[in-house]
Amino acid sequence: MTAFIVRRLFWTLPVILIVIFFTFVLMRQIEGNPFRTSERNVPESIQQNLEEKFGLNDPWYVQYAKYVKGVFTLDLGPSLVLRGRDVNDIVREHFPESLELGGLAMLFALVVGIPLGMLSALRANSFLDYTAMFFSNVGFAIPSFLVATLLIYFFALQWGDVFGFPTSGWTTWQSKVLPSLALGLGPMAYFARLTRGTMLETLQQDYIRTAKAKGLRWRRIVAVHALRNSLIPVVTAAGPILGFLITGSFIIEQIFAIPGIGRYYVTAVTGRDYSVVMGLTVLLSIIVILANLVVDILYGILDPRTREART
Amino acid sequence: MATPARSAAEHAPLVVSPTAETMAGAPIRQRNLWQDAWFRYIRNRAAVAAGVVFLIVLAYCLIFPLVSPYDPYDVEFSDARQNPSLAHPLGTDAFGRDLLTRTALGGRVSIGIGFAATLVILAIGVAYGSISGFIGGHLDNAMMRALDALYGLPYLPFAIITLAILGNAGFWTMVIALSIASWLTTARIVRGQMITLKENDYIRAARSVGARWHRILLRHLLPNTLGVLVIAVFLELPGVILGEAFLSFIGLGISPPEASWGSMAQEGYKNYRVFPLLIVIPSVAIATLILCANFIADGLRDALDPRTRET
Repeated sequence: MTAFIVRRLFWTLPVILIVIFFTFVLMRQIEGNPFRTSERNVPESIQQNLEEKFGLNDPWYVQYAKYVKGVFTLDLGPSLVLRGRDVNDIVREHFPESLELGGLAMLFALVVGIPLGMLSALRANSFLDYTAMFFSNVGFAIPSFLVATLLIYFFALQWGDVFGFPTSGWTTWQSKVLPSLALGLGPMAYFARLTRGTMLETLQQDYIRTAKAKGLRWRRIVAVHALRNSLIPVVTAAGPILGFLITGSFIIEQIFAIPGIGRYYVTAVTGRDYSVVMGLTVLLSIIVILANLVVDILYGILDPRTREART
Repeated sequence: MATPARSAAEHAPLVVSPTAETMAGAPIRQRNLWQDAWFRYIRNRAAVAAGVVFLIVLAYCLIFPLVSPYDPYDVEFSDARQNPSLAHPLGTDAFGRDLLTRTALGGRVSIGIGFAATLVILAIGVAYGSISGFIGGHLDNAMMRALDALYGLPYLPFAIITLAILGNAGFWTMVIALSIASWLTTARIVRGQMITLKENDYIRAARSVGARWHRILLRHLLPNTLGVLVIAVFLELPGVILGEAFLSFIGLGISPPEASWGSMAQEGYKNYRVFPLLIVIPSVAIATLILCANFIADGLRDALDPRTRET
């Protein structure tokens, strides 16, 4: 098991390097140099000093090497637009909100989605099953901006007196309920469908019949024997989903005016703050990669057969 | 959703009308793969209903703007924000434009981008996957590692960066932005298909009679991936259509007065407190299309590839 984890960790390094490289190449394609904009009239000598300071005159591989070094020493460089501020400051200020939002959404998705899928599978083709699956299919298809606006419209505006949810912000616990629900609905529907499918399949397995024949109580069979194997695909799917949820949601953060990283990303792109865009992109990618890594390790623990096959 | 009756029906002998041919003991008429798939597909009621709705939505988007009495760009403030009526079956937007007409127009753009980006995704995926799977060996290994690395890329940030590189957002820039980080799954599917197909006896037979590699690839392998690709169209379409909607919603994609479902939702979002219908209509259109695509994909999978039924 240790060897598996070490091998898997070892493979993560080149992956991160490739991702930084890809981002780096993409960012270099963006037209122009941030200091040579027509809006700003800077004397030639100052311009050269600026380019010198930010290393823009170095060949691309030196810039890349410097950047990689920066990423691994946790220094993502200065912002090109906000004077005297680092990308690190921006991450420190905006990431906690995104992390909390994503975490709460994920919690909601798992805590509601998995039991819903289990119930559906145990009562397959019942009214409950059809209702749950109908709502999962719909929940999976509705764009999150509709979910968010409808939640605000009904629970914050129409019936705001009853529920007392604010329409925006990220301060009190009430303000965190609606965004988390809006962000978590899609993943919740997905987990419910996934759990139902794998659970139905697991319940057909021979070892479940054996457990039943042995006289184990049904509740124990479902909770211990069936659930463990049904959760493997859920765990696989959960990694990337968690990665995407905690790296900030562009839509939800904008609608609820949450000062998270997704909302800042859009601001940085429209404000042409390329070092921030690049830093955030690399950070988001690394988080997604790490989430996948954790999943692979969990996968190895849950299903020992995969340890050898997956590097 | 599988019913026991259905699997029995799959093995039912083909009903052949008792013509003179069959009565004389002539060979039984055979069905080819696609006819077979068609018969399996039309037995899946949910998939058929989804297909019909999908075609209706397509027809509405294509035909309705031609026959509508309203100009979708004609601003008429005296008609602004009307509720559905006989004259305007879906009401009017904040500029007094007929929503039924504008939704059709927006559908043209959204679905157009959806299909165009899906085709680009398939083209890249097929090229990458077939090279990797067909050649195999170290190249396959390296290409799959690279693919693993690219899986770490968060999809929306890269779409946003691509839009920033390409400058202004239009139909084709959106297509490129939405396909640049989404071809990975298709590539992986095609590669898997290639690896399995390569081991078949008929490939060995073709090789033994001296068929060259390009003939094997183009004549024997690629046509056999067609089934998977047809499924992949409907698997990729929802993600792309949602992606367009998200980008346009945060103001980086198609921008008003140009209509797409995303840009209409953005306009609706500005008015949702007073007139929520404006965001509901384009969102429901998106959800309908995605729901249909999901059911069609399920139906096609059962019809074309009965062995690998997904759970």
